[in-house]
Amino acid sequence: MPEWGGGRTTLEMIVQELQRPVAFDETFERRVMVRVRRLHAERRSRGWVAIASRITHRPGWAAALAASVVAVVTLGLMRSRPDSARQGGAPLEPVQFVLVAPEAHSVAVVGDFNDWGLNDSALVATNHEGVWSVTAPVPAGVHRYAFLVNGKQWVADPSAPRATDDDFGMPSSALVVEDSTR
Amino acid sequence: MESSDAELVTRVLHGEVNAYGALVSRYRDRYARYAVHMLGNREDAEEALQDAFTRAYRSLARCEEPERFGAWLFRILVNRCRTSGARRVRRGRTFVHDEAALMRASQEHPAEQTMWREEIDRALGELNADQREAFLLKYVEELGYDEMSEITGVGVSALKMRVMRACDRLRTLLREVHSA
Repeated sequence: MPEWGGGRTTLEMIVQELQRPVAFDETFERRVMVRVRRLHAERRSRGWVAIASRITHRPGWAAALAASVVAVVTLGLMRSRPDSARQGGAPLEPVQFVLVAPEAHSVAVVGDFNDWGLNDSALVATNHEGVWSVTAPVPAGVHRYAFLVNGKQWVADPSAPRATDDDFGMPSSALVVEDSTR
Repeated sequence: MESSDAELVTRVLHGEVNAYGALVSRYRDRYARYAVHMLGNREDAEEALQDAFTRAYRSLARCEEPERFGAWLFRILVNRCRTSGARRVRRGRTFVHDEAALMRASQEHPAEQTMWREEIDRALGELNADQREAFLLKYVEELGYDEMSEITGVGVSALKMRVMRACDRLRTLLREVHSA
């Protein structure tokens, strides 16, 4: 411990220690810019259809388990939604996201439907012996999403079509949510 | 020549998104220190600072004084730290040390210095959030009381009281540790 006193006050010694530089790792800036570029792209191209790849019902748990990291998006598991469940005019449909990742410590789903995880909006998946899943209402329409593994690793859904605009450095997948009322 | 904040903000608002990277680079480390000390751990601090940068980008058109982008961003960060701290209290999580900083300190400084740093972190964690915020803004970030008031929305008198109590508490806590 430094000399107590010695011409300097306790306060000065505390402040000197706390004013030492703090730096985040070199990926911090990149992670921020990934979010920013996504927001920029969404602003620029509201109503975009570039990634419109149709995903149909996928009951493939067995196939998913066969791979080390496989994700399955299952649509329309819960059809009984209240008529008032809408977001931005689009009806909300339940979507189940599944990722098989036995080595993961945490898995969350981020996408344009939850502002890419801003404001703690990431969907936190539950672990079932290495199979992570979460079901959440997603507005009908075309979306992009990804899995966030261990809070940092951005993983596209290997079983879903890749979004075509991956030029932000982070992979993402395409999702089409059907309106069950039609 | 390095672009000013106002120039970079203008370029971003005109669609040059990469210019925002220069602002992130400029303020990243400067504000990382406040977030780490305020929240007590690197993970929450990174998240708070990321959120602050993203929120600032989303609201950039509302930045009325682009030449003071840094101050505006800092206000957003202070609010994010408050929200994050309150959430942590609700979760019942205890204050933890900045392990990475301690690791660095142990490599760069003698063991006694590391212990001293641990004691400071522990004492900071003992302050209530209002006092910790006021102390860090006043003495570590070296802001004036008027600026602190503008950032926090708290009156100058109240801020002075918080700073004074924080200083008293830190002195007491660190003397107790030292004399133990």
